[in-house]
Amino acid sequence: MRGVLLASLRHHTRRYVAASVAVVIGVAFVVATGVLTGAMRDGLTADVGAPVAGVDHVVTDAPDRTLRLRDQADRRGVPALALGYATEPVLRDGVQLAASVDVAEVALDPALRWQVLEDGRFPVSSDEALADVNDVKGTGIELGDVVQVGAGAAATDVEVVGLVDSPVAMGASLYVPWQTLRGFEDTLWVDTLAWGGTPELARSLDRHAAVEDARAWVAARQAEISRGVDVIAVMALLFVAIALFVAVMVIANTFAILFAQRSRDFALLRCVGVTRRQLRRAVRLEALVLGVAASAVGLLLGAATGAGLVVLVRRWFADMGAASLDPAWVGSAFVVGVLVTVAAAWLPTRSATRVAPLAALRPATGVDVRSAAGRWRLGLAGLSLAGGAMLLAAAVSHHALPAMLAGGTLAFLGVLLLGPVLVPAMVRLLGALHGAGPVRRLATGNAVRNPRRTATTVASLLVGVTLTVAVLTGLASSRTALEAEMDASHPLDATVTAVDRPLDRETSDRVATTEGVADVAALRGTFATVGGERLPLLGVGSRPDVVRGPHGLAPRDGVVVLPYDVVEALPGRLATRVWEDRELTVVVDGRERTLEVEMGSGWGRAGIVSDATLASMEPTPRALALWVRAVPGADAEDLAGDLAALAGATGAGLDGGYADREWVDLQVDVLTGAVVGLLAISVVIALVGIANTLGLSVLERARENALLRAMGLTRPQLRRAMAVEGLLLSAVATVLGTALGLAFAWVGVQVMVAEVVDGAGITVPAFQVAAVAAVSALAGLAACVVPARRAARVTPAAGLALD
Amino acid sequence: MTTTLLDTTTSPHTGTAASARGLTRTYGEGDGAVHALRGIDLDLPAGRFTAIMGPSGSGKSTLMHCLAGLDAATGGSVTVAGLDLAGLDDTALTLFRREHVGFVFQAFNLLPMLTAGQNILLPLELAGRAVDRARYDEVVGVLGLANRLGHLPSQLSGGQQQRVAIARALVTRPDIVFADEPTGNLDSEASAEVLGHLRRSVRELGMTVVMVTHELDAAAYADDVVVIHDGLVTAHLTEPAQDELVPALRGRNA
Repeated sequence: MRGVLLASLRHHTRRYVAASVAVVIGVAFVVATGVLTGAMRDGLTADVGAPVAGVDHVVTDAPDRTLRLRDQADRRGVPALALGYATEPVLRDGVQLAASVDVAEVALDPALRWQVLEDGRFPVSSDEALADVNDVKGTGIELGDVVQVGAGAAATDVEVVGLVDSPVAMGASLYVPWQTLRGFEDTLWVDTLAWGGTPELARSLDRHAAVEDARAWVAARQAEISRGVDVIAVMALLFVAIALFVAVMVIANTFAILFAQRSRDFALLRCVGVTRRQLRRAVRLEALVLGVAASAVGLLLGAATGAGLVVLVRRWFADMGAASLDPAWVGSAFVVGVLVTVAAAWLPTRSATRVAPLAALRPATGVDVRSAAGRWRLGLAGLSLAGGAMLLAAAVSHHALPAMLAGGTLAFLGVLLLGPVLVPAMVRLLGALHGAGPVRRLATGNAVRNPRRTATTVASLLVGVTLTVAVLTGLASSRTALEAEMDASHPLDATVTAVDRPLDRETSDRVATTEGVADVAALRGTFATVGGERLPLLGVGSRPDVVRGPHGLAPRDGVVVLPYDVVEALPGRLATRVWEDRELTVVVDGRERTLEVEMGSGWGRAGIVSDATLASMEPTPRALALWVRAVPGADAEDLAGDLAALAGATGAGLDGGYADREWVDLQVDVLTGAVVGLLAISVVIALVGIANTLGLSVLERARENALLRAMGLTRPQLRRAMAVEGLLLSAVATVLGTALGLAFAWVGVQVMVAEVVDGAGITVPAFQVAAVAAVSALAGLAACVVPARRAARVTPAAGLALD
Repeated sequence: MTTTLLDTTTSPHTGTAASARGLTRTYGEGDGAVHALRGIDLDLPAGRFTAIMGPSGSGKSTLMHCLAGLDAATGGSVTVAGLDLAGLDDTALTLFRREHVGFVFQAFNLLPMLTAGQNILLPLELAGRAVDRARYDEVVGVLGLANRLGHLPSQLSGGQQQRVAIARALVTRPDIVFADEPTGNLDSEASAEVLGHLRRSVRELGMTVVMVTHELDAAAYADDVVVIHDGLVTAHLTEPAQDELVPALRGRNA
């Protein structure tokens, strides 16, 4: 039997290419994921221990007590380093370089300096600072610069005396000595100290302090980071599982087709005395050999791809570790590849080896390609669909994620089971829509000839299309819901608000012509005194065009809209009056006026009143604020930087939500790109499957094609028939996948988004969905190119001579 | 009854349907080259039922493929229905087959997903020609297929399938019908029936039929018999008797 096995493998090598490609891609996907997450883990966990290398203990406690303990350590001369950071704006010459950067401590004690100096020197006094060498690329800080860190009372000027490299897990953008860092109390978050004294001392100073061995603390931190990476790996493996599911369909289909074509060979082997068991063992061994070979190739490809990606990522993300292979991960990938192949071949081998020896003796009637849906299959499909629908309905009404996942999977399996009935019907329908004519009839007829084969081929592409459409629509709906939220919380993209003197005309003009500014509303107002503080009051007549969201920021007469932080900063008595009676007395030019109070945020530090109210208090209002609408897609940092420079020059304050809005947008974009990219791999496998099915069908239909050619089918007509066949298959997958994807997306939005955001509906990203449909249809067409060329190349005489 | 050896005779009534001059066909090159046809000169009379006979490997199928425009000749010329096939590209040859030639093959004659009726009309559909209902009914009637038209090939017997194939070959009124071992897969009763139909299509419908066969019984239905050995025509017999055929087939110098 071994001779037969080897000969058969040699003889059929080319026909196994597609199945091998599916396995290779799947295994390579697993290995590359392993290499990437391994490198990420190495990079993130390296140097976690650096900040505590100089001490034996780590103290953790509540933030306020930790700050006090750090102060006491200085007084008592105990070496200690705060492991935490403040987030503060950074300005240079009055121009904001960054709205918020992480500021951490650098020790003045050389033993506790852990940063790696790249240039300059370490600080020796509290007015000196270090900057991270990677972050200065974004902020533009240079060695020797004097920058202002923090705003308002906390603002401090420091000189950057050194550039350092610091690991991502423990790093900050700026490092200042403790005396300076202590000043940013409002945003400072420190709950851990590197402690150079004894544990007893720490406990005697603060009885709540938890003292830990430094090495144990590092190990715990590394484990924590590692778990974070594991989450990423698991997410990636989810997509690997989807790709492998598609691969199983492609492989099973390949084997089913190959065995159908070889059924006469099998029967002949049975005739000459091969037992059914021997035959089954032989074909399964064939699958095993294929799985082992393809998995081995997949390992090499995955390792190479992973290493290449790591090199690529390191160019932008310096904290990526080196590429390395985890033997356990590689071993599992190999085993999974082999198992997937053997499992996919299992069912086809069972039915193939059932062939009766007599089949070899019957006249060759061509390959019997008919197959049909069994009754049990339809029953099972019905049950799955009903069960899935019920679970999905329950998920929608209870916002239950597990029920949604289970229901979605079950319903999808129901559709797949229904495939042999549903898919041919859809192919006929689409074929009929296509128009009449022999080529289309031929293509439609060929496409529906073997319902199960066609259904499996379509199903493999269906998985990718459904998931892609569902994810795109789900994310687009989330984006819409998030944007509505952002509109409500950030009604204005940017505001320039006067602090103590009116804005001059030049500032208004320059803001209006700043790159990235789409529209500007200039607001007039007056300075009022509220609770002893100077506060600009802006007059708004009707809702300005630049305002987003449901609130028009156009109050009724007699109402003032105040920012929450202004109300919170009011003296206790006034604040109570605002919270309880909703009214406040403002003083303009010595005249008092009591107004009804509403609260909100998003327009900077100013009160808003109606034009009439303003006029009643101030006959000659002056320009006090500019409200800006950004051009969609404008660079948030550039815009903020430009406006900050203009605002800084006139002593005005800058506020606005455009950066937040952009950030949320970017997150959704990144997520969309990542998910679509990962799903693309399963789509590629599916396309290999389509090309394979068509290619093998061409082999089967060689005589038939020769007959058609003899009777007057031209070469272009034959190629077109193949193209239409491929197009029909991908079109059915596209139509069905889009419908299912939209349905799943609707359920997903109801379950996941509607719970968080009221009244969230589904937003269909028409352009993206159309792009998916176009790509899928074109890919189906592309999958036909090789089989169609091969089919058309055969001369009729040669085709007729085949047996 | 006349016997003409290596001679070309024009038919007394309607002229020549197909002719070959110095026709050669070589497969491969150099030492491994196989000379399937070594210089065939042949005229096939119109309106007659001609059988091309010869042992396996004699080149009879290759000759038919070249005459039918299924395969390109290496040398010499082929003229069918007044058209010189030399120099025609694949598309032109395909269009030529559409217009002028009908085929009946040994097996795999019918497309499995089309019904008998659809199979019969397929050549017209491929050519985009209108269906001549009278012709269709006539052909279906002559071949006795009227109550089988809605069946799929898998629901028909071997003989019925070949009858459908003949109907398909005839429905376009081709200048010449080529039948390649049409009875190779049939039992003797079905064979007789199919051969009878081919002869009737010549006699009653006025078609020209050229049949490749290696069966003496099949050749007996033909008007003329062309014998081939090793890529050369060794005999062209007109209405031969059974006892003339056997020696002609046995040796090339009979």
